[in-house]
Amino acid sequence: MPQLDSITRNLMLDSLNEYAKRKLPYDFIREKDRENECPVDILREMYDPEVLGIHLISIPREYGGIGGGTTDLYRICELLAKIDLGVATSVFATYLGIDPINVGGTEEQKKKWLGRIAEKRLMVAYGATEPDAGSDLVNLKTKAEHVVRDGKIIGYRITGLKQWISNGGIADLYTILAMAPGGPSWFVVERDTEGFTPAHHEDKHGIRLSNTAGLSLDSVYVPADNLIGSVEGQGLLQAQAVFGYTRLMVAAFGLGCGWSALETAVRYSQQRIQSGGPLSEKQGYTHKLMVPHAVNLEAARAYIEYVAQRLDSGEHGLATEGAIAKYWSTESGNRAAEDSIQALGGYGYTKDFPVEKIKRDVKITCIYEGTNEIMEMTIYRGRWQEHLKTRGSYYLNMADELDELSKKNTDCGMSVAAMGLRALSAVMEECRLNKLTRHQHVTFVLGRLISMAEHSYIFSKAASAERYSESVKFDKPTYKAMARVFAKNAALEVAIRGSSLVLGAVDKATNLAEKINLAAIEKEQYGIISDMDLISKSLCQVFKAR
Amino acid sequence: MNIFVCIKQVPDTTEVKINPETGTLIRAGVPSILNPYDHFAVVNALKIKKSNPDAVVNVISMGPPQAKAVIQMALALGCDNGYLLSDAAFAGSDTWATAYALSSAIKKIGKYDIIICGMQAIDGDTAQVGPQIASQLNIPQVTFADNVEIENKKALIKRHIDDGYDTIESPLPVLVTMVMPKDYELPFPSFVNITKALSKPFFTYTADDIMAKKEYLGLKGSPTQVNRIYPPQREVKTTVINTTSVEAVDKIIEILKQENFIK
Repeated sequence: MPQLDSITRNLMLDSLNEYAKRKLPYDFIREKDRENECPVDILREMYDPEVLGIHLISIPREYGGIGGGTTDLYRICELLAKIDLGVATSVFATYLGIDPINVGGTEEQKKKWLGRIAEKRLMVAYGATEPDAGSDLVNLKTKAEHVVRDGKIIGYRITGLKQWISNGGIADLYTILAMAPGGPSWFVVERDTEGFTPAHHEDKHGIRLSNTAGLSLDSVYVPADNLIGSVEGQGLLQAQAVFGYTRLMVAAFGLGCGWSALETAVRYSQQRIQSGGPLSEKQGYTHKLMVPHAVNLEAARAYIEYVAQRLDSGEHGLATEGAIAKYWSTESGNRAAEDSIQALGGYGYTKDFPVEKIKRDVKITCIYEGTNEIMEMTIYRGRWQEHLKTRGSYYLNMADELDELSKKNTDCGMSVAAMGLRALSAVMEECRLNKLTRHQHVTFVLGRLISMAEHSYIFSKAASAERYSESVKFDKPTYKAMARVFAKNAALEVAIRGSSLVLGAVDKATNLAEKINLAAIEKEQYGIISDMDLISKSLCQVFKAR
Repeated sequence: MNIFVCIKQVPDTTEVKINPETGTLIRAGVPSILNPYDHFAVVNALKIKKSNPDAVVNVISMGPPQAKAVIQMALALGCDNGYLLSDAAFAGSDTWATAYALSSAIKKIGKYDIIICGMQAIDGDTAQVGPQIASQLNIPQVTFADNVEIENKKALIKRHIDDGYDTIESPLPVLVTMVMPKDYELPFPSFVNITKALSKPFFTYTADDIMAKKEYLGLKGSPTQVNRIYPPQREVKTTVINTTSVEAVDKIIEILKQENFIK
């Protein structure tokens, strides 16, 4: 769906922010976190169309929703994560639960179910994961058996167990993946159906405001009309069709949590006086605990927006891009939260400040919607194919494009980003020649390096734009400095980790350092300290002490 | 009944600081909002509409194209028609020239029974535009109101005064400027109403559209100009009292009385 106009989107974000200020203050969230309690009444109120109607954004207009695009949903997910990742996860569970119907439902099913979800403000849960089937859904054990009358399939009886289901104990409607005779298929199951029993709310490390429960299905009967798409065996395809989009939303969660923690740290750094001056003026603090995370998170934002715009303009799939976004954003968010505790010292370790909770919460983003190790594998698989298909020119073409663009944009890190892409191409080619991808470790590390190199490609282009995205809070000199720092870091990591990867697995001498142009990448590191000084100063201007 | 609400888009001043070197506002990363007093004026206009179902609420603002956001906000809250005065000719207008543009637009748009404004904008804090619109339209004005009702074609206005309230009855048309009761929670629109606002009438007018004379607009038409913006100087005085605790408390109380912090 195309995105809403900027004013409309921003008014929605303002309303959500206002609602949260009034109904979800930190003291309330902290209490619910301690009690391990999902604020169901608040969530139900958020669905009320007279209050917010937050569920409507993911339902197309023709079925009674608002029909937001991916860009709109990413901004909402980012803000929700800043408010509380547990609440965000619960809202997202409805978005996710709606997806199989949105993607695979027949017109009648969309009218019926999406219309009901919109009008009756139904909370939805997405029931795919099982005790023995997480990222590998092919091991699905839940069965859906035909119920036949007069030689015709009139329904299904579903039996099995589901695990880690967000909204599991509180949803009104469930989309359940089960193995039908024709293959994995999605079914709509209503909460009060006989034989359907949600288990207890899990006692989790974080996102404790999100209800997470197992589901027990004991010969649960659903009419044949509840088979999404009316054809069996489409379930995995329907799930995979939205990976690009769903993983982008989890990327937005990593971004929101990371920035929320980092903002707290930046504001604190201006107030805390240490050895005669505020921490915000000490490089040992800012350049370790603040600046690198700000840079990583803004790179993540640039990439998320790039993928969101592609999806909004009508492209489908983009599963590899979704994985790249999810991997980098959630890794960055997790690390930003970790260092924000460090930045607040003893205060950060207490529950009086929100960073401790954010750190516990954000960890889940590295786990759910496909663990980040699965993301590394997915990224590697997708891009390895491109490398082979193009005979190694996939990243060289990107590098050429950046080199061309860098003639007009000398200050956005394009030339060093191009060096990183060339180094990546050389490392991948070396892996191919020496058959190194037989080592799983090599493939996973390649996934990480690919993610970094592609982020530097997109970030440097975003920094060269005439006008920045409305979500960028920094001025041009700062944003360009961020793109430069990121490109330098990415190129160096690709070069050093890439060569370590190759040299650690081949037993013959190679002139890899030359092929990856390590000396030139090292030379490009000049200026990084002054860029970090600028970014540090700018962070304190944008996130002033309160 | 035709109600006009004059509104302004302002930077969220809780986030704004002044650059001491240039004397300008540091707006980097600062969000723009609907001026809270104007937001309250919108709330009152909609309350009047609720008890007078035939009433039409027109919301009007002068500003750059991005000021459309606050008009969309007012439409999402329930106002009927939106008008944005946006033209290079308006740039640099002081309060008098702004009031001239707004009053010209109101006259051009049509009949008006009540015009409601916020008391002041939180960025300029002049509290002049509302009264100046009344002056230029030559209609009565009541300032510092926190409630307005229309009964029998007259306005009943509850007005703040020192230590109490006045209730004023005014014939129509009248202009009212509003102050918010303390801790008042301004409403926000739901996602549904925000999207519904997209189909409400919205017009952008230039100076020519409202038949305003260019010489009364912009810097040229402004009898006042801002010379400099600067943060107030804060002086910190430290007094050390070396005596017993009891005597020190007495001394502190004495100082607080001298400085008028306590009576």
